[in-house]
Amino acid sequence: MKAMLLKRVLQLVTVVWGVGTLTFILMRSLPGDMAYRIAASRYGQDNVNSEAAALVRQELNLDQGAFAAYWHWLLDLLQFNLGHSLVSGLPVIDAIQHMLGHSLLLALAGLLVSILIAVPVGLFCAWRGNPLDSIFMGLSSMIRAMPVFVLGVLFILLFALHWNWFPVAGFGTPAHLVLPALTLALSLAAVSNRVVRDSAKHTFQAAFYQFSKVKGLSAWQTFRRHGVRNIAVPVVAFFGIQLVSMIEGIVMIESLFSWPGIGHGLAHAIFARDIPVIQGAALVMGVLFVALNTLVDMLCLWIDPRGVREA
Amino acid sequence: MSVLLKLTNVAVFVGDTCLLEPISLELKQGQPLTILGQTGSGKSLLAQAIMGLLPDTLSFQGDIEVFGKALTLEQRQALWGRDLVMLPQEPWHALDPLMKGINQVAEVYQHVQGKSQNDAQASAQQDLLDVGLADSAHKRPGQLSGGMAQRLAISAATAGGAHVILADEPTKGLDVSRRDGIVRLLQSRSIEGSLLTITHDVAIARQLGGSLLVMKQGRLVEQGDALDVLTNPQNHYTRELIAAEPKSWPDVSVALANKTTETVLVAENLAIERGGRTLFENVSFSINKGEVVGVVGDSGCGKSSLGDALLGLLPVSAGLVTRSNHTAKPYQWLKLYQDPPSAFTSSVSLGTLLKDLVDLHNIAQERIVPLMTRLNLPESILQRTCLDVSGGELQRFAILRALLLDPVFLFADEPTSRLDPITAKDVTNLLVELARETGCAVLMVSHDPDLVRKTCDTVITL
Repeated sequence: MKAMLLKRVLQLVTVVWGVGTLTFILMRSLPGDMAYRIAASRYGQDNVNSEAAALVRQELNLDQGAFAAYWHWLLDLLQFNLGHSLVSGLPVIDAIQHMLGHSLLLALAGLLVSILIAVPVGLFCAWRGNPLDSIFMGLSSMIRAMPVFVLGVLFILLFALHWNWFPVAGFGTPAHLVLPALTLALSLAAVSNRVVRDSAKHTFQAAFYQFSKVKGLSAWQTFRRHGVRNIAVPVVAFFGIQLVSMIEGIVMIESLFSWPGIGHGLAHAIFARDIPVIQGAALVMGVLFVALNTLVDMLCLWIDPRGVREA
Repeated sequence: MSVLLKLTNVAVFVGDTCLLEPISLELKQGQPLTILGQTGSGKSLLAQAIMGLLPDTLSFQGDIEVFGKALTLEQRQALWGRDLVMLPQEPWHALDPLMKGINQVAEVYQHVQGKSQNDAQASAQQDLLDVGLADSAHKRPGQLSGGMAQRLAISAATAGGAHVILADEPTKGLDVSRRDGIVRLLQSRSIEGSLLTITHDVAIARQLGGSLLVMKQGRLVEQGDALDVLTNPQNHYTRELIAAEPKSWPDVSVALANKTTETVLVAENLAIERGGRTLFENVSFSINKGEVVGVVGDSGCGKSSLGDALLGLLPVSAGLVTRSNHTAKPYQWLKLYQDPPSAFTSSVSLGTLLKDLVDLHNIAQERIVPLMTRLNLPESILQRTCLDVSGGELQRFAILRALLLDPVFLFADEPTSRLDPITAKDVTNLLVELARETGCAVLMVSHDPDLVRKTCDTVITL
């Protein structure tokens, strides 16, 4: 466990440096004059002229060489200073905190709802078998085959416009969270309910599952004592993968529902050439990636300690 | 003597096909009953039918009386654990891989016997102490040897108080020394009730005594008192089964055509470590062309590791392996695996596998048919995959595959331990015969000292 954590910390440092450097290079190599783009974001597209651009260039010291800029960035990073937004002038860390909070809220809510859908459906399919199993297989494939924004638009049309139950987009109240979370949850559950079903079916057919009943334990006791944990092994790992991949995949839903998350914010920052925000967001996402992976690995290890030499 | 279990004309069908022909038997208190027969003779179906564990695709006919009452399937299932229990064939698979051993016993005391958690733990601890597993109580099944896992499974199975025990191949894959212990444990656990054992091992039938039923392909061929039947078998098949015990094999004939003094391989002062533990050290021997060398020893002593080390599949921690034959290609140092199905892919037919081999090594086509005839392999198996042929056929096919490459050295890792005795005898004899003919040196690992003694020229004991 200690060795694993140490390895992860090392990984974290590498990820932070790698992601930061890569975004730096990529942003520098984008076409167009940076000063103009930043000025456009600051003052509006119509108010930009070469004077404003020159002012921005001077203020932000954009003329310094690439190496000097990189060096500054690296030094700042070592002091945990992500800098200020080139557009708003506010500290990057505040903007990211705000965006990340919303993204995490949406991601966790989506995952939670997807678990609430996938686990009962998967278990029920494994337990009952056909025809229920085939029906859910078809349904899952259908939802999975749809791009997630189609699902979202469908929900907006149905629940927001037709029935007026929930707001179309935006944020602030719990009601705003419902549709984006549900969209996310359904697209996640479409796959994960099959994983639950396969794992459960595998476990129900296992010799040890039968032996537990032969020993005299009731069906429920057998499920509780031998089913849950064994079914959980692949399922938890899969939910972990989903959570991690959601950080990048959530962009679509955030844009659709105008959710002020990090994916949404990152896209805007790229249009505005707001390099510190882009770097900051990419960095934080990289860190989150490693942190969540570590968390999931630790959880999996706790459920299934095989393979690790036990003292 | 009360009758605990009475079967009247119990038969098992899949669709219209009869897998187990009608059989009647009585299991009496204190008198163990053993059903002896080859794999695939429908023995296991009988135990599953009694328990009410037949798969949905199978149906059964006849009456099953338990404790003097005809019971339905649900009523029999209600007896599980408390009165009636079945031991699994493969204890490793029958134990929860994630749960510590002691908890798998304690949960029975707690949930079946209704003891408090502390009492249940204490009882389980005592049980494990009785079967010599006190030190391994907190290990998971994956950390136990086959014999330990079976002792744990027996403890868990009998903790609920059941005295009528059905044991389906309880000693499959276990060393001889472990086998006797398991049989004694089963005997002691069933002392107040009775024991119905299903096995292909004549030695177990002899050790258990009581009454004996001999089955062949779903049909009862002979029954009676175990010792009578085994000392004076009437049926041809029973005699064949008894003769297939390595103990009764003819001794190895020393007059060997191809045996030379030409050395193939020399091992000097070998030592092997695995997982920080030294398995053995200072092992030295040499193997000659056409010689069959046996390796015996308890499970976990490093028999298989020795063979792998000779092939260069495992590093040695000390010592030297010298190959005297320098002209042989790397693929002429081969291994024959213990579990034939896991040594083949099931996604293509055996014919395709054979063709790939022939193409890769430019093997002359005309060599194949005679060798297949010799190995008693019908041409039709080439159309099938490894899942559709019997274990014996598959292992013979593995031998065919190996011999086509003209091996100079073949490491046979328990090549017949997963086969039933009659097939095992055939396969072993063929392997030894062909190896001697072709001058291939063989290192044969086995957990059965009798088998090694009867087939090998020299024996290494680890």
